[in-house]
Amino acid sequence: MFGLKSTGRQTWKRTYRYQLAEYVTQVAWSPSGNSLAACSAAGEIVLIPFQNAVAGSIECLASSAGPIERLAFSADGQFLATGDQTGQVRIWSCEEQTFIPLLTHHRSGYWIEHLCWHPTQPLLAFNVGHTAEILNVTTQAVVATLDFENSSVLCLAWHPSKGLLMVGGYQGIKVWNSQDWQEEPLVVELDSASLEIAWSPNEKYLASGNLDRTITVLEWPGEHPNSKPWVMRGFPGKVRHLAWSPLRSTESELCLAAASMEGVVIWERDPDPLIGWNGYVLESHTQAVEAIAFQPQTQHLASAGADGLISLWHNAARLTQTLNDAPQGFSGLSWHPQGQFLAAGGSQGELFIWAQTRAAKGFAKI
Amino acid sequence: MVQAAIADTVPVTVLTGYLGAGKTTLLNRILTHEHGKKVAVIVNEFGEVGIDNQLIINADEEIFEMNNGCICCTVRGDLIRIIGNLMRRRDKFDHLVIETTGLADPAPVIQTFFMDEEVQSQSFLDAVVTVVDAKHIWQHWEADEAQEQIAFADVILLNKIDLVEPNVVDELERRIRSMNAMTKIYRTRNAEIEMDDLLGVKAFDLNRALEIDPEFLGEDAHQHDETVGSVAIVESGSIDGQRLNEWLGVLLQSKGPDIFRMKGILNIKGENNRYVFQGVHMLFDGIRDRPWKASETRKNEMVFIGRNLNETQLKEEFRKCLV
Repeated sequence: MFGLKSTGRQTWKRTYRYQLAEYVTQVAWSPSGNSLAACSAAGEIVLIPFQNAVAGSIECLASSAGPIERLAFSADGQFLATGDQTGQVRIWSCEEQTFIPLLTHHRSGYWIEHLCWHPTQPLLAFNVGHTAEILNVTTQAVVATLDFENSSVLCLAWHPSKGLLMVGGYQGIKVWNSQDWQEEPLVVELDSASLEIAWSPNEKYLASGNLDRTITVLEWPGEHPNSKPWVMRGFPGKVRHLAWSPLRSTESELCLAAASMEGVVIWERDPDPLIGWNGYVLESHTQAVEAIAFQPQTQHLASAGADGLISLWHNAARLTQTLNDAPQGFSGLSWHPQGQFLAAGGSQGELFIWAQTRAAKGFAKI
Repeated sequence: MVQAAIADTVPVTVLTGYLGAGKTTLLNRILTHEHGKKVAVIVNEFGEVGIDNQLIINADEEIFEMNNGCICCTVRGDLIRIIGNLMRRRDKFDHLVIETTGLADPAPVIQTFFMDEEVQSQSFLDAVVTVVDAKHIWQHWEADEAQEQIAFADVILLNKIDLVEPNVVDELERRIRSMNAMTKIYRTRNAEIEMDDLLGVKAFDLNRALEIDPEFLGEDAHQHDETVGSVAIVESGSIDGQRLNEWLGVLLQSKGPDIFRMKGILNIKGENNRYVFQGVHMLFDGIRDRPWKASETRKNEMVFIGRNLNETQLKEEFRKCLV
């Protein structure tokens, strides 16, 4: 029933399904959890109101002429942004689950593949060729155009609190400070190219997933990173996705999940500084892992694969359940901010929500 | 992983040649031909591609250096990004054409398909096709790019033959053959060529037989008037696998930058199966192929295409690997 396959007790149950016309490129819950948004390679953008664990009737926003690459809610939930292959960045203001078009920013000839909201201000960073542009949504003006120079911009990330924007690409990460965009960026050099940047929620570490099948982790105690980064090797392919476990207490150390081809590796800090980090592999997927994410407030991890499986890992270690509702492959996933719902998209346009059954808290313990 | 993906993998044709040689004409032929295929095109320079309802992506060439232990190579960062993205479709296209700029070195494009696991699992190189302008190539003959584009090609169109005398075309074909002993050469006007000779060539498929032009093998002494040339080695007997491995290791380390492409079929001692391999610069890819048939003579055949290759030395060193 519901296409669930379980290796332990079933704790997640599908409660919703919708069908888009094309590959679902992104799913995202609004910060309040009152809306689920999804976009597709056919240019569709859909919004599903979600209240009292019930999905309401779907609303379609004006679609784009090209595939939508990214979709992102601002941290306060006031804005929704999309980036697409026609070079448009579109922004809606969100009020009470009503989405009003606010502005459209054109950069014809470019694919807008990365969107990143400032953690507290109405600033949106996105890629335009080898530059990153910063758009102030309130004034509707581009406040900075940052030239990465080395290559196209391959990833973007804001520091959780310091107003730093990290721009990744060939041969490194460049760090601009929003206090003064004109200031020369700090450069973190890498051998190949940075494909994904992730700050640890305790703001202690910056991780970069790289093209040369490595992860670089920098400790960042103050204004500058420590000079000697850790480099994790041995991945079967480029490191495409990273996720830090959520912050639970100030003392507890965090772990870093990394996806490369069909493998997921969990890295934990070793007490011995000479060893640095220890990794172990989570084996379940048979094709590329398309997304990984920790359940909010827990150490439980979900991984979505092109093999059509979402694997749920108790404490990022033990496989407790697999969801196999998208036989042609999952393309992405998103946890509800309170963690009791999980949404995912599929390569054939499927959109799902699963709910945690009341029997258990967190993932099942066998 | 690889098995599951094979059914979905998309063939890729790389189109090279100087500006004005006829690449765009050929591209438009591919796009308008009634082959029932949905073709996506990545172009690095604007040309007269005026076809609607096709996916044309314009991108700047981005060369990334990759150092993986002892292997150094360059890949195309833009292709890794774009191809990965294009595969995020429910309705994928049937064929991808990559048109390079007139001055591009084809090696990084080819190496991308050897190096990037994501690109590799979703697409495969079908062939490198080079369009040569029979009238104007003579002005570019000394240019590295012109030589590389010929050396890397699986298919060459000697285009605009109507603009030159037949004996000039003969001379051109002879020179190209001395540079690249494996390529198929077609004489064309307005880039007119049968689609079957262009698409579905499977030149990088290791299971496909190595085809060396018999005429090239027939000549005892080659007139090497170019620094870029081919060396073919045909030897009977069996090979000591370990010695061969060591030799190739040293050869690729020291001569990798000068070896553009190589291919071979080997008879390794103690093996009932043929060993087939190919290489691009320092990248090497080899597999155990089908068993030798009782009816066929076991032998070793190799072709190197490169710059300043020392034929005598290559042959001598290879013979040392024989049992």
